[in-house]
Amino acid sequence: MEKDSFLDTNIIVYYINYNKESASEPISRSYFYIINKKGKFIICHAVIRELYNVMSKFATLHKEVLKKVEDNSYNLEESKNISKRDLPFAQKIYLSYKDYDIKELKRVFAAERDIFEIGIEQFLKNTADVKVVPLEQIEHELVNVLRDTINNYADCQILASALQYQKDKETFLFVTADGEHLDPNGYEYLKDEPKLRNYQFPQLKNLYFED
Amino acid sequence: MANRKTAEQIKEEILSILKEGPLSIEQLRKKIESNWSTINSYLEELSKSGNVKKIISADKKKIYQRVFGDTYFDIPITDLERKKFRTLFSLIMKKYKEKDKTPTKTELAKAAVKVINSQSSGLAELPTVWYLYGMIPLMIADPSQNYSEEIQLEHTPKINSIIEIYIQESHEKKSRQLQREQHREYNDALYCLSDSFLDEVQKPNWDKEKIFDILNDFFIACPIDNDFQEVFWLTDRFISTVRKLSCFDKLENNKIKILLTFDALWKFIATYKFYKTLSAQKRFLGKENLVNLYLGNALSLRKACAQEAISDLYSVYWSKLDNRELKELPQTEKIKAIMAGWTGED
Repeated sequence: MEKDSFLDTNIIVYYINYNKESASEPISRSYFYIINKKGKFIICHAVIRELYNVMSKFATLHKEVLKKVEDNSYNLEESKNISKRDLPFAQKIYLSYKDYDIKELKRVFAAERDIFEIGIEQFLKNTADVKVVPLEQIEHELVNVLRDTINNYADCQILASALQYQKDKETFLFVTADGEHLDPNGYEYLKDEPKLRNYQFPQLKNLYFED
Repeated sequence: MANRKTAEQIKEEILSILKEGPLSIEQLRKKIESNWSTINSYLEELSKSGNVKKIISADKKKIYQRVFGDTYFDIPITDLERKKFRTLFSLIMKKYKEKDKTPTKTELAKAAVKVINSQSSGLAELPTVWYLYGMIPLMIADPSQNYSEEIQLEHTPKINSIIEIYIQESHEKKSRQLQREQHREYNDALYCLSDSFLDEVQKPNWDKEKIFDILNDFFIACPIDNDFQEVFWLTDRFISTVRKLSCFDKLENNKIKILLTFDALWKFIATYKFYKTLSAQKRFLGKENLVNLYLGNALSLRKACAQEAISDLYSVYWSKLDNRELKELPQTEKIKAIMAGWTGED
């Protein structure tokens, strides 16, 4: 019997944003992992919250680019609304669309956001099988222990949800494409953490590192 | 030997001191030179009679505010400003009376703003704010009140002529029209777009593209304020929900829900705009007090109402959402290629 998959945020975003021509290996793997679904897809509420945050960030990114197109003197680099990580994406979009008619561009961006958001929501409504661990049930102590190793708070909440849900169940897969916080060695290191000894870990399937 | 103050004297003193702004019992006690429990019991009495209200209560820290009930959210103004406002309202009422008319609340408020913002009126220091229907005087303009000329304003003849011109120009205009004209005059994009949106959705047949163009502009005009991030987040949620709903259902079928949601959102945005106009004024530079003492409850309540309304509208969209594949615009291909490696994670 196929193992169930507990999906990380990035897998779903990669799946939605998949573009045949430009997809890197981890993105393609994420896309085909969803397309060739085996077992159940488990989504935790921390991932759902993250997905809505991602939508808001996408909207902010578009808004900032539109501001720049409207007013060339607007400085994207100094904007407090875009993270350093998102800035190169905003700059590339600006360069690609700066000569568009602004009214038309607002329509194009809005349509793109619609497709992106609807894609995520269709996935949540129709493809995800189980939604687990409400946010208020995430164990704070567990999150704090994970934070000693993983510096991203949202990632810690997601992994904590996976560990809590794994309890007394057949081992499922924790599927991610995170090349930064959840590499296989780091995951093994986490398993050895004495404070996590009582937790059963899901099996890591990190599509970023797979061949 | 100094005379003991009577209860009435102490209460008068409390009311007089609180005119300047809210204070804690401890601060009042020091100013009046009395003890904590005496001040506390008089404040309780004054609170029952509606002259003061407790705005913060935490263990021993209680902060009281004088209640006049004549300014929005009981924001304090000075006695002189109060007199000037009342005198101005009286002059406006008189001019309307000469035309055998009693002004509506909107007419009175908009005429007052017109005068205050006219440089030659000499009343530029009177506070005005953006709120639900545009710019208004901070003191509530109420045509049912008997205002009198409590002081002699320096430029009364000039003020009267501004009022006369305003009455002439606004003759026979409805409140809504006056509001819209003011929004355009002061060129506030959000208020103008809100008007355009309401105009479009009042029409029997909705022009979806036109509505979306207005919402697209609203999305851009809505500020991202790091102190009030929800203003943009909720605006974005509302707009995106309406847009997405249109992919699965005719928007007109959801007219009432859309209007109610926009109304709740607008009340939140307008309260935020109220805060922003006041916080930009010198006297309210301590922004925290403005939120903590006066506007915090209203902002929280309106945010909660907007959230609830948007969540309600979203549930309609969610119920209609199916698995149909949506056609992408060819122009979005470049974005898709750029965003392929983006996860939006921190």
